[in-house]
Amino acid sequence: MSAPHIYRWDLDKTYLQTDFDSFGALLRTAFQKPADKTNVPGSAELLRELRVASAGHVLIYFVSGSPRQMRNVLAEKLRLDGIHFDGFILKDNLGNLLKGRFRALREQVGYKLPALLEARAEAPVEAEETLFGDDAERDAFVYSLYADLLARRVGRDVLAQVLDVAGVYPDSRALVMDTLLALPRQDPVRRILIHLDRKSPPVHFDVYGPRLVPVHNYFQAALVLYEDGRLQAEAVGRLGSVLIERYQFTLPMLLRSFQDVLRRGAMSYEAAGRLGEQARGLGIRGDVIDLFAREADERNVSLPPARPSELPDYPALLRRELERHRIEKLRRKQRRGWL
Amino acid sequence: MVTIALDAMGGDRGVETAVRAAASVSLQKNGPAVLLVGDRARIEAVLQRSRYDAAQLSIHHAPQVIGMDESPREAIEGKPEASLLVGARLVAEGAADALVSAGNTGAAVLACARHFRKLPGVPRTALAAVFPTEQRRGEKDDPFSLVLDVGATQHTDADALVGFAHMGAAYAARISKNPKPRVALLSNGAEPYKGPAEVVEAHRRLQADPCLHFVGNVEGVDLPKGVADVIVTEGYTGNVLLKTLEGISETALNVARYAYRSRLAWRIGLWMMRGGVMQLKQLTDWRQYGGAPILGFDHLFIKAHGRSNERAIANAIKVAAKAAGSGLCREIEAQLAGKTEAA
Repeated sequence: MSAPHIYRWDLDKTYLQTDFDSFGALLRTAFQKPADKTNVPGSAELLRELRVASAGHVLIYFVSGSPRQMRNVLAEKLRLDGIHFDGFILKDNLGNLLKGRFRALREQVGYKLPALLEARAEAPVEAEETLFGDDAERDAFVYSLYADLLARRVGRDVLAQVLDVAGVYPDSRALVMDTLLALPRQDPVRRILIHLDRKSPPVHFDVYGPRLVPVHNYFQAALVLYEDGRLQAEAVGRLGSVLIERYQFTLPMLLRSFQDVLRRGAMSYEAAGRLGEQARGLGIRGDVIDLFAREADERNVSLPPARPSELPDYPALLRRELERHRIEKLRRKQRRGWL
Repeated sequence: MVTIALDAMGGDRGVETAVRAAASVSLQKNGPAVLLVGDRARIEAVLQRSRYDAAQLSIHHAPQVIGMDESPREAIEGKPEASLLVGARLVAEGAADALVSAGNTGAAVLACARHFRKLPGVPRTALAAVFPTEQRRGEKDDPFSLVLDVGATQHTDADALVGFAHMGAAYAARISKNPKPRVALLSNGAEPYKGPAEVVEAHRRLQADPCLHFVGNVEGVDLPKGVADVIVTEGYTGNVLLKTLEGISETALNVARYAYRSRLAWRIGLWMMRGGVMQLKQLTDWRQYGGAPILGFDHLFIKAHGRSNERAIANAIKVAAKAAGSGLCREIEAQLAGKTEAA
């Protein structure tokens, strides 16, 4: 039997629609009951489809920056959603607070990178991975670095520079270095999907190469996963129906999302055509298929040039991201001129 | 949900401004969907650098562009795949509910004439625009009066002026929620015999029209006071009037800016009045209004100012969505049918 496929999900703003942009919102989130927590439209349904598609031969892990004290609430929420998970890593925020490690409360690289590497140490070497994150924090950066570290495309010297730039505490730094050393060279990360919760411009993610695809919604994610062979046409159709029935999406909205994925080259015309053919065979409404097929056939959109798959300069990239984050924060604070 | 086709290539500021405006509208909750019409590669390049919602935006490729300084008739004949024409065609085919463009006004009118159907009873179509007034009106306490025509035509006859009055009244009723708008004719005196022959004739016919609340002639000096909700005039005069009002507003703000920089006492005074100054700035800023609808066709077209920035185009899209969603064209058709019956 082949190795299971691993799906690693971030939780806040990737799986759950969490608002932690203000202190009040953060407090509300902390005291929310499991049933009151809201999903990003289609996230739970997509996860369930991914398990069904592989006849259960998958491993699902959550790696979240939420505090460990929320484990019971979050686990209950996932149970209510019908999500069976194989691992759940949460951040030791209380520990960081008590030890006076205030930087670690917000810092992502020093938390997520060792968490991912440690989790990988327990996975079968042949198991491939698909990672889900969002644009609110540094998921794209951490996931890409994780993939390139495992494949030894990025060396320990570059990693050391990244950890310096991120201001990672010495113990977390040692943990990253030691865990990486213990892992064999492997290249398991097939796809990174970044949910554009903050609607960041897609061009921001070009630097990570074609492996990483920013998505505006989980219908787009399903289309990419269909192209990757992780989902069948039927599952894509079901997810589309769920988005329409439960989340106020409309067919034109799905159609526009489909066009966007084609335009950005995240799905090929060949896969789009195949999806249409398979969907027809499954008895999905002909007019719906025709709409999608027309979009694919007319080639109203031209495929963009292939994105470079050069290795990012991770230390420089992190410096840029930190600077951009600082500028965005400043801009939000700046008062608008009145005359 | 309403879909607005946006001519992404029109306007002085080009594709960057139009695409960014559409992208910002796409992020608004319950906002319209936007169909960007134009050169797909150029649109896509801007879009990828913008924050947008993919579920609310799509692109329709149109390889040709009509320049702002091109002869409208020649451009329409020579460039069948121009974004403006393709946009109008898409609206006529039902792919979108209204068209917005900041491009060549003459070409826009001709593009609409080519692809849209003129409503029964409309002698001439008209470009309508709003301007702020002292008096407010309607259930929304709307501070704007409507003036038409402001440039779809040059000179018109009495028949067309009467048509403008009915279309303007329908627009005010539907958009400003003003069920009985006061309609006036722009002239050089309040007396019915003042003005050119077509204005005198239009005055006679409007006064006898039971479907309208006609308040007679108004002079230029009356307009900012808001003595009427709909001002009817020919396109040439209307355009000059509109640009004059815009110029006065911009000059007033420039004077305030000059005063702000010149003396500390004036600066303090202006700062203390900043709430009022800001309100005045917002009220008189044409970018707020979003654009001028061409009335009289079975589909809606909103002409945004050629100088429109991102905010102005975004507002034009919102105005188009509101008008399309409220069934404005049907309202105008009903109003004109009423006029015909009354006659």
